[in-house]
Amino acid sequence: MTPSSAYGPALRAGPTSWRLRPRPALTALVLLAAAVLLTGLGMRLGDIPMSLAEVARAVVGDGPDHLVVMELRLPRALTGVLVGAALALAGAITQAVARNPLASPDILGVTPGASVCVVAAIVATSSAAGGAGGTLASVGIPLLALLGGGVGALAVYALAWRGGLDGYRLVLVGIGVSVVFTNVKYWLLTVGDVNDSGRAMVWITGSLNGRGWEHVVPVAVALAVLVPATLVGTRSLGALRFGEETLTGLGVRPDLTRSLMILAAVLLAALATAAAGPITFVALAAPQIALRLAGAAQPPLVVSALTGAVLTGAADLVARTAFSPVELPVGVVTAVLGAPYLIYLLVRARRKARS
Amino acid sequence: MRLRAVDVKLGYGDRVIVDGLDLGIEAGTVTTIIGPNGCGKSTLLRALGRLLKPSGGEVLLDGKRIDRMPTKEVAKILGVLPQAPTAPEGLTVADLVARGRHPHQTWYRQWSSGDELAVNEALSMTGLLDLGERPLDELSGGQRQRAWISMALAQGTDLLLLDEPTTFLDLAHQIEVLELVRRLHGELGRTVVMVLHDLNLAARYTDHLVAMRSGKVVAAGPPAEVLTEDLLAEVFDLAARVIEDPVAGTPMVVPIGSLPATGERARRNGALLKD
Repeated sequence: MTPSSAYGPALRAGPTSWRLRPRPALTALVLLAAAVLLTGLGMRLGDIPMSLAEVARAVVGDGPDHLVVMELRLPRALTGVLVGAALALAGAITQAVARNPLASPDILGVTPGASVCVVAAIVATSSAAGGAGGTLASVGIPLLALLGGGVGALAVYALAWRGGLDGYRLVLVGIGVSVVFTNVKYWLLTVGDVNDSGRAMVWITGSLNGRGWEHVVPVAVALAVLVPATLVGTRSLGALRFGEETLTGLGVRPDLTRSLMILAAVLLAALATAAAGPITFVALAAPQIALRLAGAAQPPLVVSALTGAVLTGAADLVARTAFSPVELPVGVVTAVLGAPYLIYLLVRARRKARS
Repeated sequence: MRLRAVDVKLGYGDRVIVDGLDLGIEAGTVTTIIGPNGCGKSTLLRALGRLLKPSGGEVLLDGKRIDRMPTKEVAKILGVLPQAPTAPEGLTVADLVARGRHPHQTWYRQWSSGDELAVNEALSMTGLLDLGERPLDELSGGQRQRAWISMALAQGTDLLLLDEPTTFLDLAHQIEVLELVRRLHGELGRTVVMVLHDLNLAARYTDHLVAMRSGKVVAAGPPAEVLTEDLLAEVFDLAARVIEDPVAGTPMVVPIGSLPATGERARRNGALLKD
């Protein structure tokens, strides 16, 4: 008797072998199709509304619409899905390392650090040298966000490290550092010029407005490199749910795994934040939704990334059409959708603890 | 000598628990470490399994320093079952046992037919084949402990370190686990080192008994030589008769009562001498 049903089918060819998990694989395919569809739907919107067929024709043809679609609409839509994917992947990693479904890259110091840096720059430069705003916005802000995110993450990591990296300690230190950064940000907003603060607020909320290829490329490159890299480490990441001693006994190096995975999450979150500002709740909610869609015990990385892409793509569609012609920043919609979800998670966690 | 601790100093932070201890584990034996609570027996086992890094001295696996070997290579030779291990919520028995194959896998070879075979064998050896799809948290204590041992078996290591594998189990389940250990040793020739509290069971299922007190090895050898009335007084502050186990013929401890702590007894003896 072989209990092969307990393992599911295996996929073996030459020296390679995998366990085939039909449900996550199918979920991923459906989500991929949804992400492509949402990208197309996003490209319909603009000064001249188009049908999906017109969008498709404009992409392949070289009429006057081709330029509009390829230079304005495609990069914006792509920024949305790619940023969503990057944030969700960062979130899935963070939740696995922290062993906590409420963890998100915010607690890694990335988004709070990026926000402080960008707000400081906007408040400090713009009122002094009025004309510098344009250049600052297109080149400076993403770089500053990246820098701030890196510094924030480094601060959290350094404070959390104590002869090893403990997930629980990481969460606590992260929350502490976030609060400090957030308050510095608010202080900067209050001392700054009203107009500057207003511009800074738009960035803080997270927006896809006016995003071009220069925003797409860094996130796309990060995903192209880090998705395969994190997949190589996914076995060890899954093992992290066991106790520390069991891990060591199995030949896993928990601190190394955690450090490398956190590094990947920081890069993903920082580049995503640099491209679109700190879009809230995607990193928190997408992995938890993916987990339920895939019927897995831990957020699966690829399904999480695709869920993030779909979530952000859909949120942007809502943001642009719900109160048309007024366009909301995408971060407002993800927050409005995400907050009730967060409450649901908290209520559920408390119920479970009580039962 | 497969596994050796040489002059090891062990502790947590500034607290030293074991200092200058030597211990060797022969291939193909079952060794049990006994001693009172806090004597450092689990600490020693953790150091032997490279879960704790000695602050002095060294642990040698097949003559090589264990902390300088790649941990994944160590995991192919040496399996460790920690005291009260924790598993993720909802994990099935088959998934737990499959995790034991971790050191043999790489990112592109995650579930070879060899893996599947080893997991099936481990499940069948522990009598858990039918429970593969059951979540671990639904099992009884004895079944759960067998599942963890099954994971260590799937790891396919020659050496197996078990830290109090019978804790929280009723007597029948304790026997069940120890009989499994005996079969691992007898049928598969595995070398087992474990920490046990029950002295009679330790005597019955062990080739080599190591008695510890206050971080020192007080006596080591076959149970019949180690488990004496004098040793019980010295190590456990316990007054006891040691008789022959009518079933196994091994020493059996029948407690009489606790003795004052060794230090106090020594002082009293001193006082008596003066009188």
